[in-house]
Amino acid sequence: MSERVYLDYQSAKPVDPRVVEAMLPFFTTRFGNASALHTVGDDATSTLDESRARVARLFGAEPDEIVFTSGATESNNLALMGYCLRNKRKGDHVLISEAEHISILNCAKALEKSGFRVTRVPIDQFGRVSPDKIRARITDDTILVSIGWASNEIGTVQPMHEIAEMLTGTGVALHTDAVAAQGLLPIDMAAIPIDLMTLSSNDIYGPRGLGVLYLRKGVRVAPTIIGGGQENGLRSGTEDIASIAGMATAADIMAAEMAQEAVRLATYRDRLIEEILARVPHAHLNGHPQHRLPNNAHFRFEGIEGESLLLSLKDEGISVSTGSACSSKTLAPSHTLISCGLLHEEAHGSLELTVGRFSKESDVDRIIEVLPGVVRRLRTLSPLYKE
Amino acid sequence: MKSTQYSEKTLDHFRNPRNVGTLEGDDVAVGRVGNPVCGDLMDIYVRVKDDRIADIKFQTFGCGSAVATSSMVTELVMGKTLEEALEVTRSDVADALDGLPPVKMHCSNLAADALHEAISNWRKGIKPELDTPDESVGCACVTGDLPIAGIDELVGKGVYRSLDDPSVLADARTIVVDRGDDSARLAIALTAHTPRVVFMTVGKEPAISDEIKSELKRSDVKLLIESRLLEVKGEFEVEKALVQDLNENEEYELVADAVVLLD
Repeated sequence: MSERVYLDYQSAKPVDPRVVEAMLPFFTTRFGNASALHTVGDDATSTLDESRARVARLFGAEPDEIVFTSGATESNNLALMGYCLRNKRKGDHVLISEAEHISILNCAKALEKSGFRVTRVPIDQFGRVSPDKIRARITDDTILVSIGWASNEIGTVQPMHEIAEMLTGTGVALHTDAVAAQGLLPIDMAAIPIDLMTLSSNDIYGPRGLGVLYLRKGVRVAPTIIGGGQENGLRSGTEDIASIAGMATAADIMAAEMAQEAVRLATYRDRLIEEILARVPHAHLNGHPQHRLPNNAHFRFEGIEGESLLLSLKDEGISVSTGSACSSKTLAPSHTLISCGLLHEEAHGSLELTVGRFSKESDVDRIIEVLPGVVRRLRTLSPLYKE
Repeated sequence: MKSTQYSEKTLDHFRNPRNVGTLEGDDVAVGRVGNPVCGDLMDIYVRVKDDRIADIKFQTFGCGSAVATSSMVTELVMGKTLEEALEVTRSDVADALDGLPPVKMHCSNLAADALHEAISNWRKGIKPELDTPDESVGCACVTGDLPIAGIDELVGKGVYRSLDDPSVLADARTIVVDRGDDSARLAIALTAHTPRVVFMTVGKEPAISDEIKSELKRSDVKLLIESRLLEVKGEFEVEKALVQDLNENEEYELVADAVVLLD
């Protein structure tokens, strides 16, 4: 088998070796607890403070606006559950889009069980939410709007600046899950009026198991994890200094390399889209042709099913992702593709390719070379495909 | 267990499926089984001679286990009598593949059902005309005129009873209901303005002239056959269409911005 090709950066990213290097001392010699008052504890406290400032800098935030959590899912929980519980006397209505990440969708369901009302704003065929459709659904009881900055799945980027400006002065708080966008698009909290933002460490090539909730000064949430009062009482539990120092290093690297990296990834993406649509008949691009993440190419192929496609590419040593039902736990096809207006049979035939920091031109060459034959073979098996 | 954690035998049948294809002739019958929720559809063709399966072929749209179970069932029953073949169960197929992931046992393990369907069709003398096997085709024009809920409320908000200028539907996900040649021409014209045009017809084929039908099939219009529009929904404007799949007799929601229903 030829060299392994990894085209699934949206599901997991390797930790940058420079980050691993920076983390190592904190496992053995610099192992202190930031709450302890002795020298070893003081070292942890100063590492925590300094790391918080470095992470904040990447996103144009103030250090005290950064709350470290165990990951993006916890940040989304703290944002939605925490904000609504803390602010329920202001109202009981929440808006999300139909294309949100599963952790947002399920938090919204949990909110409904706790007596809140949730409206799911439709998306267009490219996966975008229009600010007008959000505005039309805001009522006097609306307290929070949560819209993911970009889709981790089809790569569509939302008009966040328009949405944020539209909400300014309405008293409705805006949360965004920016996990898919971070490290690929510039995010500057000094320039955009967003109140809460979810981030993850791994998505900037830091360690897994660490996330951030950005909380603009003055925005209040009720903690979802109760304990010793760390993170300003918003997220209890002894801080994972090694991971936090790792994320700080990852943030520094990202700040230095993002602009160049995004351009390089966009050339890979554009080649993938152009060549695959040209070489595979009856192939379509999902998501937005322009407003899309620089690392995401998302297709659907008529007459074939995504899990078969994934298995066939796996045999070729290529790791990809699909929105097919057969590859999911629930056996339901991707809710995002269905909300874009696709039929189930179309959503089943989808393929997601995402590139990242360690992707090479040869990875792109390989999938372009292999994919047309794989699709052709599966179509010969399919009763749905006629030449 | 992961849904894709397949045995080596399952993977072998997926990679090298046996007996792929279709069969033709007077001694052939076909069974089609599908589960649209899970996204599997399989056709099993049998050629019967002296009450035995003389040849068997399959075509399958679906995941790894859907392909592997189809392939395995053809191997299990090749040369068997019809009675013997009818005794092959879903679990026999799964066992022959050294097991399937639990989540796939129900939805993708339909090959035995398709085989039984094929044998049943052969005994009833039903010939393999998959493109027109259903008796309900003839009533297309009658069923097409059933009332559609929500239309009156949403006229002017995404529901169009006439459309002079297709460009007003730029980038709109549009459903055009089959109302003959004019509606098909309109659907084709709309593809210049939006990438998503669905032409919905209750029959196996649209009720339009052959010339426009071939033009329609060459176009970017997505043809949705055996589908009836039951309801148009939306809070402020058209958001969703409730569609009945007449083949599976199931209802589902299709997201759309516009519905064109010519008078």
